[in-house]
Amino acid sequence: MTSLKHAPPDEREQQVLGRIETARSRPVRFRDPQITMAHGAGGKATRNLIEGLLVPAFGSETLSTLADAGVVTLGGLGLALTTDSFVVKPIRFPGGSIGELAVNGTVNDLAVAGARPLALTLSLILEEGLSSDVLRAEVEAIARAAREAGVEIVSGDTKVVERGHADSMYICTTGLGQLDARARLSPASLRPGDRILVSGSIGEHGTAIMLARGEFELDAAIQSDTCSLWPAVQALLGVAGPGVRCLRDATRGGVASVLNELARASGVAMLVREATVPVHPAVTGACEILGIDPMYVANEGKLVAFVAPDNAAAALDALRGVPGCEGAAEIGEVRTDPPGMVLVQTAFGGKRVMDLLVGDPLPRIC
Amino acid sequence: MNPTSREPVCRTDPGCITCSDQGMVMRVAEIRGEDGFAACTDAAGALSEVQIDLVEPVNVGDSLLVHAGVALVHLGQAEAGS
Amino acid sequence: MKFVDEFRDADLGRVLAGQIVATVEPGRHYKVMEVCGGHTHTIYKYGVDDLLPANVELVHGPGCPVCVIPMGRVDDAIAVARRPEVIFTCFGDMLRVPGSGGTLLDAKAEGADVRMVYSPLDALRIAKQNPDSDIVFFAIGFETTAPSTALTLLRARAEGVANFLCFCNHVTIVPPLRALLESPDLRLDGFIGPGHVSTVVGARPFEFIPKDYGKPIVISGFEPLDLLQSVYMVLRQLAESRCEVENQYTRVVPYDGNPRALEALAEVFELRPHFEWRGLGFISQSGLKLAPAFQAFDAELRYPVPGIRVADPKACQCGEVLKGVIKPWECKVFGTACTPERPIGTCMVSSEGACAAYYNYGRFARERQVV
Repeated sequence: MTSLKHAPPDEREQQVLGRIETARSRPVRFRDPQITMAHGAGGKATRNLIEGLLVPAFGSETLSTLADAGVVTLGGLGLALTTDSFVVKPIRFPGGSIGELAVNGTVNDLAVAGARPLALTLSLILEEGLSSDVLRAEVEAIARAAREAGVEIVSGDTKVVERGHADSMYICTTGLGQLDARARLSPASLRPGDRILVSGSIGEHGTAIMLARGEFELDAAIQSDTCSLWPAVQALLGVAGPGVRCLRDATRGGVASVLNELARASGVAMLVREATVPVHPAVTGACEILGIDPMYVANEGKLVAFVAPDNAAAALDALRGVPGCEGAAEIGEVRTDPPGMVLVQTAFGGKRVMDLLVGDPLPRIC
Repeated sequence: MNPTSREPVCRTDPGCITCSDQGMVMRVAEIRGEDGFAACTDAAGALSEVQIDLVEPVNVGDSLLVHAGVALVHLGQAEAGS
Repeated sequence: MKFVDEFRDADLGRVLAGQIVATVEPGRHYKVMEVCGGHTHTIYKYGVDDLLPANVELVHGPGCPVCVIPMGRVDDAIAVARRPEVIFTCFGDMLRVPGSGGTLLDAKAEGADVRMVYSPLDALRIAKQNPDSDIVFFAIGFETTAPSTALTLLRARAEGVANFLCFCNHVTIVPPLRALLESPDLRLDGFIGPGHVSTVVGARPFEFIPKDYGKPIVISGFEPLDLLQSVYMVLRQLAESRCEVENQYTRVVPYDGNPRALEALAEVFELRPHFEWRGLGFISQSGLKLAPAFQAFDAELRYPVPGIRVADPKACQCGEVLKGVIKPWECKVFGTACTPERPIGTCMVSSEGACAAYYNYGRFARERQVV
């Protein structure tokens, strides 16, 4: 009868891994000689740029929390302020267009900060030669999305640049929202044992964009999931209140990047159970052909929620009751070790690390 | 660089399937008029152009192993449930 | 996805893991080398290692075509890419391989027209769409990928696409395996053979491994169950004192390979007398170049390339990792000076490289069982 003994981890390997974690947790420095597409990908290069150059330069404590929206208090009133820019290529894609992204993307930054979206500003940078019909269609899409999201566009700006300098159009926005009294959201609130929820199937937006670019001769019925997340946030806050520790919308870099950012910011570990992550089969297939993990692919209408264990079941039920979030699922939990890292339990039964990517799985997807 | 050039997007992370020798099982959907090409679908329905010179003749519904846009193995005639 | 799901079934995995434990000799340590980048990737991606007892060590060999490209060849590629008349095309992972002065991605950021493609046919398409430029395709890969380059060159010739050129760095699988087996610092018990190279070359070319060196080899598929089963088959050969080429991947790999693919390769390519492999030095008859009939498409003949041999940085231990002599974390610069963001060597650039795979997926405390 074969007997199995326990073999502890190799000590020398542990030492090397410990040294590496120390090196990784040192304050980031921005040393790259020039900007590459990797800096716009939402992965490690983006983080180095933000934490190494931008945050130190502006010296704002609010900014250094690196939340999706900055919170400013005015006479006891909590206001959330956010900004976003949209350079998606192509500007129209299955399931939406740049205009809808602009509205929903901004609204969602406010929503996951726990703020009711109130107003947007809109700045259009238009390429010389852009067809007025195309512009009209975008403007209508923006108006429609704003109505659906319940926000008012209160101010704007328009610029035109020469042919070749704006890929049809770029859109920049600012969003203003009012903090919901029930929201106590912060990465610092994460505790081992907290459950990780997603509001639906992942990887659709980035995959739809990639297919719309039409360079691969790939054809699949995948649509962008762009939509407002405020109803989902309201549902969560309503049923779980302070039991909702933190929320994030999983845009560029995908769910994996969100988990990594939060693990790093709060010093906890996370374990994701791959078999429980909802992914549409068409997305799995297209991503498999191109060798991308859907966990890294951008979403434009999905949030990740960290919920106290006692509230998790009710929170999931509440989410599933929101139209569009029927596919919400619990995908993992927060743990103590290894701090700052995200591990995946594969459907096959083994474990592996899920780190931030260096650069660009899919450039210019939002 | 021509800013309106529409270049193919290829990931640099987390890995290049061509470099890693991966092959995909695909099913012939349509044989193109052009010599040696077929449109093939993967198991999830995504469609792509595949060179079939090395495994011809093929029929619609056949399974092929494809790498870097080329079919290397004819896996078998169309069978129910395969 | 029924076809694939069957081969990722966790319950079957546990059954095989149990069979492996039952086959392993208590107290004995086994080293099994897999040489295919795709296998390395699957092992780490699914955590296949976790299902093996600590007695069985999987060693990653030089089967990643990106990993074995020496720095000098990258410099040559960048020199060509920098030419104003050139549109340079290559696969994704090659963009980040460091030459002595930077990567192709850096050259792109500095203004060189460098574009990523999924197959050489994409590059041929770009050539037809840009008749005023020279389109150069950076051809890498083993015998799995070489046929796609061959077919594309045959098409280019048939269609008269004179502005399509190939910078050929294809390599063949048998010479490096022989070099490894000749190496005195290696102690291996068996091999997991490359699953897709063998669809082209067949199982026959690997017979020299059991015949001349007395080691078993099992050709494996790419799903996690394939790998587990292949490890089991190697261990079973050792337990039964057998030594042969076995094919675990019979659903895909034919014993004779693909004769038409081999014909295409013979028509378009010829063997270089020798070719430099990162970490392994010069190996004779291991690299391909374009045959005389295709000279007009050979980028090395159209353009002067520096052709300077660049030594690896002193700190780089890629060679030892590629031979399986040291594990990634045993390299002195692993994870500190050499990371996926700032790779020094190719094992960290390609995610099929042993170092990148371990860094990205395997970098955590692991408890195993020992028989």
